[in-house]
Amino acid sequence: MQFKLPELGEGVHEGELTKWKVKKGDQVAYDQPLCEIMTDKATVEIPSAFKGKVAELNAKEGEVVKVGQVMLTFEGTAVAGAGASESKQATPAPSAPAPMSAAPAKSAQASSAPAQTVNVGGLAIESRPLAAPSTRKLARENGVDLGRIQGSGPHGRILTEDVERMVGGGGSGAVAGGAMPAYKPPVGRTSIPAGPQEERVPFRGLRKAIATKMRQSKDHATHFTYVEEADVSQLVQLRKQVKEIGEKQGVKVTFLPFIMKAMVAGLKKYPILNSSLDEEKAEIVYKKYFNIGLSIQTDDGLTAPVVKDVENKTILHLAHDIEEIVKRARTKKLTQDDFHGGTITLTNAGTIGGLFATPIINYPEVAILGFNKIFRKPVVVNSGGSEQIAIRDWTYFSISLDHRVVDGAIGAEFMKEFIRYIENPALLFLENNL
Amino acid sequence: MATTQQQADVVIIGSGPAGYPCAIRLAQLGKKVTVIEKGDIGGVCLNVGCIPSKALIYAGTTFDKMDHVSEMGIEVKGATLKLPKLMEWKQSVVKKLTGGVGQLLKANGCTVIAGEAKFTGPKSLEIKSKGDTIQLTFNQCVIATGSRPMNLPGFTVDQKTIIDSTGALSLTEVPKTMLCIGGGYIGLELGTFYSKVGTEVTVVEAFPTLLGAVDPALTSVVQRRLEKRGVKIMLNTKVKGQKTTKKGVEVTFEKDGKTFTETFETVLVTIGRVPNNENMGLDKAGVKLDAKGFILVDAQRRTNVANIFAIGDIAGQPLLAHKGTKEGLVCAEVIAGKKAAYDVIAMPAVIFTDPEIATVGLTEAEAKQKGLNISVGIFPFAANGRALSVQEPDGIVKMIGDAKTGRLLGVHIVGAEASNLISECALAIEMGASVEDIALTVHPHPTLPETLMEAADTALGHPIHIFQRKAPSTQPAARV
Repeated sequence: MQFKLPELGEGVHEGELTKWKVKKGDQVAYDQPLCEIMTDKATVEIPSAFKGKVAELNAKEGEVVKVGQVMLTFEGTAVAGAGASESKQATPAPSAPAPMSAAPAKSAQASSAPAQTVNVGGLAIESRPLAAPSTRKLARENGVDLGRIQGSGPHGRILTEDVERMVGGGGSGAVAGGAMPAYKPPVGRTSIPAGPQEERVPFRGLRKAIATKMRQSKDHATHFTYVEEADVSQLVQLRKQVKEIGEKQGVKVTFLPFIMKAMVAGLKKYPILNSSLDEEKAEIVYKKYFNIGLSIQTDDGLTAPVVKDVENKTILHLAHDIEEIVKRARTKKLTQDDFHGGTITLTNAGTIGGLFATPIINYPEVAILGFNKIFRKPVVVNSGGSEQIAIRDWTYFSISLDHRVVDGAIGAEFMKEFIRYIENPALLFLENNL
Repeated sequence: MATTQQQADVVIIGSGPAGYPCAIRLAQLGKKVTVIEKGDIGGVCLNVGCIPSKALIYAGTTFDKMDHVSEMGIEVKGATLKLPKLMEWKQSVVKKLTGGVGQLLKANGCTVIAGEAKFTGPKSLEIKSKGDTIQLTFNQCVIATGSRPMNLPGFTVDQKTIIDSTGALSLTEVPKTMLCIGGGYIGLELGTFYSKVGTEVTVVEAFPTLLGAVDPALTSVVQRRLEKRGVKIMLNTKVKGQKTTKKGVEVTFEKDGKTFTETFETVLVTIGRVPNNENMGLDKAGVKLDAKGFILVDAQRRTNVANIFAIGDIAGQPLLAHKGTKEGLVCAEVIAGKKAAYDVIAMPAVIFTDPEIATVGLTEAEAKQKGLNISVGIFPFAANGRALSVQEPDGIVKMIGDAKTGRLLGVHIVGAEASNLISECALAIEMGASVEDIALTVHPHPTLPETLMEAADTALGHPIHIFQRKAPSTQPAARV
């Protein structure tokens, strides 16, 4: 019997097989991890939906596998109707005709498959996508739906390069936020001639996913970065107190929960920063919820899971959630759900050093806030009408914004409001739902 | 009378213009192919269809030319046509081609079995071959059994006085009179030939127009020529029956409720073609047919039985050799595991009347039916230098574009060499060209394809070699 790659999550059609956890001949129990699949969002473990012996592994480590593709063959029994795993195992029945666009790339499998209908797209002369026969062939072979490509040729003609871009760029529409247009990297690839004293490693997995995501962001959003400084002396004191309380409850309290709360306060006043641009429909989507992505550096690279519903969580609750999500990121235990629904992102560069960074927006969000190192600094303070030099806890906050949606003045006003809460954290207690 | 068991990988039933290209492409893709043919290699097209008919039509046209060369100062005295000699030559052309196909199949390593195949199940066939029986099991099978002329009740074809297209290709005497029943392309092509070699031809058609859905602007050019050469055309007329008399075949017609009779030496029945789906055990294989007896297939030409495919005429309209060839190639690639599909947008059709007709894409009527706002450009052959210098001023090119997008939607040609002009248009439509693309492409002078360029210019409102008044205001100027 065959075990096919189950659904990986909303909008995710493929992933890289990074590791097999079983080998040929292994006895496998139901729900035992079979392999690790890295998608452009997360690494997930695929549990078995059967019990029995592995007869053959049908995919290699490093290979990009598609949902529905045969991963392994086994001798044993498939476990049906088994709760949570049932929904994960939502692969099409083998007898169901699968449209060619969803068929696996391996031609050998196409021939052995039962009767399948091919999606040849619209063939009406007056309305079909403008593409030459050779371009249509390329699209068909790669499962690319020409109807979804905006051609770059005259009159919107779809060129071979347009299809190649879709194929090479992972432009399967697997972009968080729904109807965002598929990403296409620019034409032309850099080639670097082989040289001595150089090592070549495959550019894939999370590294490639990061590259795609960053390129996509820069291709769409028009970035600008605004930096403001803040006196965080009061916040340092407050955090110290809360930290002690947290320790008693087994929760590690960092500055992040406070920053997130101050962000929500600012976003409520300037909701445009909590929006996305639906380019296809030409509409700005205002999010009435506050899910803050958190940039986390892992051994494999950068990842940005989402802390959900920040508005309605207490500081301690948030601290707990952040601790959990960081732990799961570092142990590769994040799930697709952890990446879903972000509305703005917070990146923390301060743990290493530097004055401030100019972060890249986690597209299709329109804003990313950079929290930098806190340092002690002599500043001029006004005390009882006279100016004095005082030593204060100080930091810089940088915010990168998509200027298509957020103007500089609005961004600056948001920062002013945000920093008002940061400098006077007691104000946070005036907010509801703290 | 031996029975043998054999195993094959891919089996193709039929070696016509669908089957044999399919076999060759499969072989190129590394498959082991067995071709079963109950008749002659090459099928109807090569043996009793496209090729021999075009050989005869060419001869007829050449003979007919003799009547028109005197104005060029050429005197031909006593030109005669010996039909048996012509048939011999035609047969030599056929033999050359079928022999070539046989060699190609062999060179590609295909096994050819002469015999009649019958399914005994979805993976097995029984072949009657020269008295022996072969039980053949296969992995995949391609049905390419084609079609044959449709019978007309009451007109039993004896290939002597009542003939079908096959019989018309091997007469050895020129009939004095001939009735063509059916004003479709086969009737008109063969009728024109016999008219050119001296037969008094009558064409009877039950519908109000000749050539079915072909643009009437094209048909009228052909009809005028036919009438000019003395061919009698009876439209809206049905044939009710016939009886053989000493004088020939007495045919009873009915028009407007009135019946009348007329006698002909020969009656040619060309009322359509039917699929060859009988006596081959399709039910044993479980293959489904549509209401008209054609095999139902998907975009990869796969039948409802996963390992059985159908291509060519047996797989449905349009019944054209080149459509079957395309299907054969698609199907071969599918069987070899490639993601091929039949995604033809522009299916050209050619009719070897005098002058020829060639069409591709939407007709004006079809475009209007779809509610499209179109721009139409018509350019006459009479305004083309080459057409005049080869004595072929009769004809037009009708080019149809989408008025909004400029997209080329259809091209319809009647005129000399129309069959050789249409491929450019098919390519243009497949490539998604605009009418302007055709107009902007340099066409060499002096050639007939210049008519295409000028028809495109006409659609755009600025032809050089005809004077065009400003388009009426109701018709928006083509903007492409």
